[in-house]
Amino acid sequence: MNTSSTRYTFIFAVIVCVVSAVMLSVFSEGLRPQKELNEELDVKKNILKAVALKEPLAPKMKGGDVLEVYDSKIEELVIDKEGHVVAGKTPKQLTGKDKDLYPLYIYKEDGRVMAYAFPIVGQGLWSTLYGYLAVEADATTIRGATFYKHGETPGLGGEIEKEWFQNNFKGKTIYSVKEHKLTPVVVVKGKAADVVSKDELSHHVDGITAATLTGKGVTELIDRWVRVYDAYLSKLRKI
Amino acid sequence: MGEALLSSKNQKILKDGFWDTNPITFQILGICSALAVTTQLKAAIVMSLGLTFVTAGSNVVISLIRNFIPPQIRIIVQLTVVSALVISIDQLLRAYMFDVSKQLSVFVGLIITNCIVMGRLEAFAMGNPPWKSFLDGLANGAGYSAVLIMIGIIREIFGSGTLLGFHVIPASFYAAGYVNNGMMVLAPGAFFLLGIIVWIQRSISGYKES
Repeated sequence: MNTSSTRYTFIFAVIVCVVSAVMLSVFSEGLRPQKELNEELDVKKNILKAVALKEPLAPKMKGGDVLEVYDSKIEELVIDKEGHVVAGKTPKQLTGKDKDLYPLYIYKEDGRVMAYAFPIVGQGLWSTLYGYLAVEADATTIRGATFYKHGETPGLGGEIEKEWFQNNFKGKTIYSVKEHKLTPVVVVKGKAADVVSKDELSHHVDGITAATLTGKGVTELIDRWVRVYDAYLSKLRKI
Repeated sequence: MGEALLSSKNQKILKDGFWDTNPITFQILGICSALAVTTQLKAAIVMSLGLTFVTAGSNVVISLIRNFIPPQIRIIVQLTVVSALVISIDQLLRAYMFDVSKQLSVFVGLIITNCIVMGRLEAFAMGNPPWKSFLDGLANGAGYSAVLIMIGIIREIFGSGTLLGFHVIPASFYAAGYVNNGMMVLAPGAFFLLGIIVWIQRSISGYKES
């Protein structure tokens, strides 16, 4: 068999392509329902994490139980650019075509609002970062933040998925009552306490060593989404 | 097969990959990932396992079809096999071991482009039977892992004061004025460590410049 002939080379290349393409399609399509289920569960887990449940989820909780908690505690809404609730729409129905419509998740405990959560998405250094930000019922204080999907370098920018980084955001404020203006949280270079004055600590958090640009991305995406959701949140503030 | 599974020849393959021709210290391959994913031990371990698995697996596949691959397009065929293998595994993980796949995140892509995988395919699997190729992949993966884990341990302890996420440097050290070495977190820190490891390994194994 002459493996160098043009004819053989061509046929071999076609076979290799077809075999790998079929294999990958089968894997991708066959596993799609399972993958989508995992992703949906992951998103819901993260919303629950961002709103800091009164009784946190057990670490090894089964998927079905997580969904049950989610359904009983979280109310899903859709709001428009002006911050009005769009009746009859759920976040699940939103597609890429729905411009100026935004999902909003309300965490209620015994009928009382505990937190408002919304997705925050934007560019890091290498990849798009996906997360959720939750504010307390006062629409000013951050209750929790999560980042659950990214492609940043593990150990550097990838640290945004770690507890220590996300915990930094708890208790920070996105609105200054004194100055009556929005103060979306800024990720600084180094330790916040060393970099900004005491008054400004309320909206600055520690950066990640050797991941300044990821931090910059986080700052930008928080700024962007806090401004979008302020249309809704500003109506809740009692000032 | 007329030869024992771990005959002396096969043992030599294992020893070569792990020590005498270690992919990092002897062949100076896979440096990119040795620098990028060793800031923390856990990342280094995950990358090591992934790479060992892929090198061994793709070595076997390529070795099985080695006599049919047209020489002109062998590199692209190797790359296709590696990518298809890695992506299939990634898909399976995403469906059945979601947490693991989240931890692997970008590693999967890094494995495809790792020079060691292609290096072993080209240098070994193209000319040797499947079992030998499997051993070769395993040995080279282990050699790579050993170096990666060593660098990972040193960088995490001195760069962040932790090991596998647990604090190992006592708080009293920090109180006494000790600070984490910022350079260890950055790529240059890994470069220095790597240089030192290459130096030590080559002194012991008696490497001679040809």
